[in-house]
Amino acid sequence: MIRTAARAGPYVTASNRGAVAVLKKRFQRQNVLIFGALFVALALLPRLPGVQGWMAAQAAIVIIYIVAAQGVALLVGYTGLVTVGHGGFLAIGAYTAALLTKVYAVDMLIAIAAGGMMAAIVGMLLGLVFLRLAGPFMAIGTLGFAFFIGTVVNNAPIFEGREGISLPPMNRLLGMQIGDIGFYYVAVAVLALVTLFLYSLLRSGVGRALKALRDSERAAESSGVNRLLFRTLAFSVSACITGLAGALNGLVTHYVSAEVYADIWYSVDILVAVVVGGASMMMGPFVGGLFVVMLPFFLDQLADFAFILKGVVLILVLIFAPAGICEVVARPFVALRRRHLMKVGQASETALPKAVTVSR
Amino acid sequence: MTSHLRCHDVTVRFGGLLACDHISLEVEQGKIYGLIGPNGAGKTTLFNVLSRFQDPDQGELFYRDRSIGSKKAHEMVGIGMARTFQNINLFREQSTLDNILIGAHHLTCDPFSHMYSLPHAMRRERELVKRATEIAEMLNLADELDNAAKNLPYGYQKRIELARALASRPEIILLDEPVAGCNDEETAELRAVVQRINRELGVTILMVEHDMAMVMGVCDYIYVINFGANLADGTPAQIRSNPEVVSAYLGEEVAP
Repeated sequence: MIRTAARAGPYVTASNRGAVAVLKKRFQRQNVLIFGALFVALALLPRLPGVQGWMAAQAAIVIIYIVAAQGVALLVGYTGLVTVGHGGFLAIGAYTAALLTKVYAVDMLIAIAAGGMMAAIVGMLLGLVFLRLAGPFMAIGTLGFAFFIGTVVNNAPIFEGREGISLPPMNRLLGMQIGDIGFYYVAVAVLALVTLFLYSLLRSGVGRALKALRDSERAAESSGVNRLLFRTLAFSVSACITGLAGALNGLVTHYVSAEVYADIWYSVDILVAVVVGGASMMMGPFVGGLFVVMLPFFLDQLADFAFILKGVVLILVLIFAPAGICEVVARPFVALRRRHLMKVGQASETALPKAVTVSR
Repeated sequence: MTSHLRCHDVTVRFGGLLACDHISLEVEQGKIYGLIGPNGAGKTTLFNVLSRFQDPDQGELFYRDRSIGSKKAHEMVGIGMARTFQNINLFREQSTLDNILIGAHHLTCDPFSHMYSLPHAMRRERELVKRATEIAEMLNLADELDNAAKNLPYGYQKRIELARALASRPEIILLDEPVAGCNDEETAELRAVVQRINRELGVTILMVEHDMAMVMGVCDYIYVINFGANLADGTPAQIRSNPEVVSAYLGEEVAP
């Protein structure tokens, strides 16, 4: 049996437990504040001078990618499952929203919610099948799913194949016609709700159970975690979030066609966003989504070179920052906090591990 | 004399290997039981059968005289059985507190209440954290709650595993080699802890262990298996003087 080296990492000896708890609470508040500030900035963005409608639409597309990446990040970062087929859920969300809008002329809020729900239901059913497969086999399975969806939307008459479904040029929100800036606000609201939900999920018992399953299935099961239930739940929630993004994606372009959604390019792009940004940090999808959308946007003069650059960045990230750009950026701050905690933890006394005082 | 855990005629085959050959044992409420035997005797396989990680090819399992043959591994903590593993099986990247809290998983509310952080789920969560902290204090882990399990010394990790098992409020704990790989000091600690769990919390214990001083010192009753089959059972004194056990496992030197 291998004995672990004693104390490999920075180490908080919390003999001063009260102060440590207070400090931890403060760090948590700081995290929440960072996200709060980010959303305030997002809300104020359209107020900047010189902002035009198309910029708001472009920003909305970034946000849509961030939401889609959040869905994938939940799987990749917190369950350890890799999916290369989430474009399928994006398509499901987009087509559900588009068909409802076209045929029943529903409000966009209903269309978005329905897109998420439909993806969640399909995700749950698929989860029950895929989660029996191990690691790489599951990744191939999800790829098959993306191709399957592509074939269906290409050929089933209701989806109008490459002709595509065209939607009215204005989206309808609670009876009002809204333009690009209005749509941007809806996208920000969806992003905020998803972020809040993920925050709540990941720090709850559910997040704990998912991480436990990721780290050791056997130990998790012996502690009473129902593997199939929690994996399916995670898959379904992840599909739902990506489906919401898909619904938004269909509505923002007013056009949904097999030309776009039968391609597995979306699946790959979302996964790249997650890997580049970092799967297991809340901020990861934000950075990744921004990267994946804005890199080709700024480099559109260079056309294919943008794709090559994306690939180069991906490889560099995998080599130098396998946990994502966010993890590298956060590292010094995490170290700083850790030092602060250690100092406070040891403030009251020089804390050595006490001898065990359990009486026999 | 109440039967807490009982198995009858358990047989497990791995291909041509007979890992368990009609093993039967019975564990009484509130006592400490030892399960000993040479390496490869089938002890861990039997543990896996009892904790439902392994289906037996034949045989019956009873928990408080109710059959548990159709239970799944994750359902066992719900009926009162927790276990630890021979090679430490912790969530290495996670803090001591999170490791202990996972043990209380079956005491959490439904997943949906937790996902949305509903008030009653948050309240339950606070209760569980409080209890996990108490358990950590009992096992002298309270100062390590924030530290990642992988950063802690071996003996600490062993105790975290025990704490995780305790967090599920078990009636019986299956310990798979609780002191394997520990030095004398760590062994003494764990031995005291095991006895405290048994005496103060009234938890029945069944342990596989090779440290004979520990087994003979803490167990009320011992089962010996050899080549997958029951060899003997009895009190420590009886086992020590059983010639079959001495020749098969203990060796001549370990005279009483």
